[in-house]
Amino acid sequence: MAQKIPRPSSESPADSVEARVKKTVERTLARNIPGLALQQADLDIEVGQTPKELVYTRDTLRLYHYLPLTDEIYRIPLMIVMSPVARGYILDLAKGQSFIEYLLLQGYDVYLMDWIPPRREHAHLGMEQFALNLIDESIARVQQESGEQDVNVIGYCMGGLLAAMNAAIHHDGPIKNLVCFTTPVNSDGMGLYKTWATADAFDIDRIVDELGIIPGDMINASIQALRPLQKRANQMLLLNNVENDAFVKASLRFDRWAAEQLPIPGELARDMVRDFLRGNKLVKNQYRLGDKLVELGKIRKPFMHVAAEFDHIVPTAASSDLIKLVGSKDKEEIVVRGGHVSLVAGGNAVYRLWPQLDKWLSVRST
Amino acid sequence: MSTDEKLNPMHLWREWFVKSEKAWSQALTEMMGDEKFSQGMGRYMQEALHTHRMFSEAMSQYLANLNLPSRSDVLDLSDRLGQVEDSLAALHVELREHRALLARNMRNAGAAEPNVAPVRPARTKRPPGHS
Repeated sequence: MAQKIPRPSSESPADSVEARVKKTVERTLARNIPGLALQQADLDIEVGQTPKELVYTRDTLRLYHYLPLTDEIYRIPLMIVMSPVARGYILDLAKGQSFIEYLLLQGYDVYLMDWIPPRREHAHLGMEQFALNLIDESIARVQQESGEQDVNVIGYCMGGLLAAMNAAIHHDGPIKNLVCFTTPVNSDGMGLYKTWATADAFDIDRIVDELGIIPGDMINASIQALRPLQKRANQMLLLNNVENDAFVKASLRFDRWAAEQLPIPGELARDMVRDFLRGNKLVKNQYRLGDKLVELGKIRKPFMHVAAEFDHIVPTAASSDLIKLVGSKDKEEIVVRGGHVSLVAGGNAVYRLWPQLDKWLSVRST
Repeated sequence: MSTDEKLNPMHLWREWFVKSEKAWSQALTEMMGDEKFSQGMGRYMQEALHTHRMFSEAMSQYLANLNLPSRSDVLDLSDRLGQVEDSLAALHVELREHRALLARNMRNAGAAEPNVAPVRPARTKRPPGHS
């Protein structure tokens, strides 16, 4: 009787249905997908982990000093002004995906102006307090901490707006070099927000008087409206890459950050809607902080603006005038591929933007 | 990713959705940027604020009758906690300053420096190629 020879299978043991099911079940259990609580807990540990010290606090401001990671640092300290509507940990998302960690490894002495959610007692804080008082106090503190009079400043998004306004008013001040990331200056380039803000039925005074603090959810909804289906698309992308652990983690970290939009003081919202969105006063040289006129042309310090080609939150139409308005002779604009957030936290930022920034800033930091 | 997965209709549909999302989003945003939509949204917001106020007032009275805290009471508590956190943060900053001062004084006195403040690197770094 001839021996029955088993037919060779084209499937290797690792590809068999049983093995694949087992692998999927194990991975699902490990990730605890039915309730993302554990996954969330893991992510809580991971964000904003670069060692830092709190060096100054006032109202909603938290000024941090990051502990240097090199034996030698550049003479001029570097202060980053974060947008008051977003959590600062986007700049220090995870090891290897952290703008701040990158700067520390290049030898910069890094300080971060970060913000906590405002309470009702902070409802009166407007643009003047943010752009002048809080930045002035932070710079003074950085000078005291570092023992240096010069300070380099990077402002991200609305943080760039605050930093540029400060530099324009204190044009002979301690800011030695200024870098603005995707900073809005021309509200004509912010089509949807401009239309909403100028609508007769939109009563910002009533909203501010009624709410005091503009909730983060409201800010989040207005940002979502700029790309209404993006969140769904990201979820689809996540499902299609669910087997890629690194992708899943990075995606969840981004989602968490995007959902944690900071509330803003009502007075700041009122100033933004009235003077910036409706009046577009910055490009007209009519913007006033208290009794001081903000004229961007008075900025004479070396200046760099970084815009993102596919930025839908601050489109280049809203930010491209900045480089023209600034009066510096030593000024440069770079437009990189990517979006509003990938500029500072995307996987490719470490190869695209950050080295360019380092090249520009390092020779101006001694 | 296996070939089977790539041929999965749901996978293909999701891929199509991701690729065409920008165009769909743009169409929706254009719709929302319409003058009439903006007016309608503004009016809706006013109505929502009005309803919110009416409902809050009614509910806070109702909750007070039931001897339960209202949202306003919870916010008061949250504000108080926030103030406590502020005080702790200020203490933290002050403590750090005292540690730095202690380290400086001991250094000046020639005593062994206590391990209370981080070591400051020299501010002498030069850009690569500029040494």
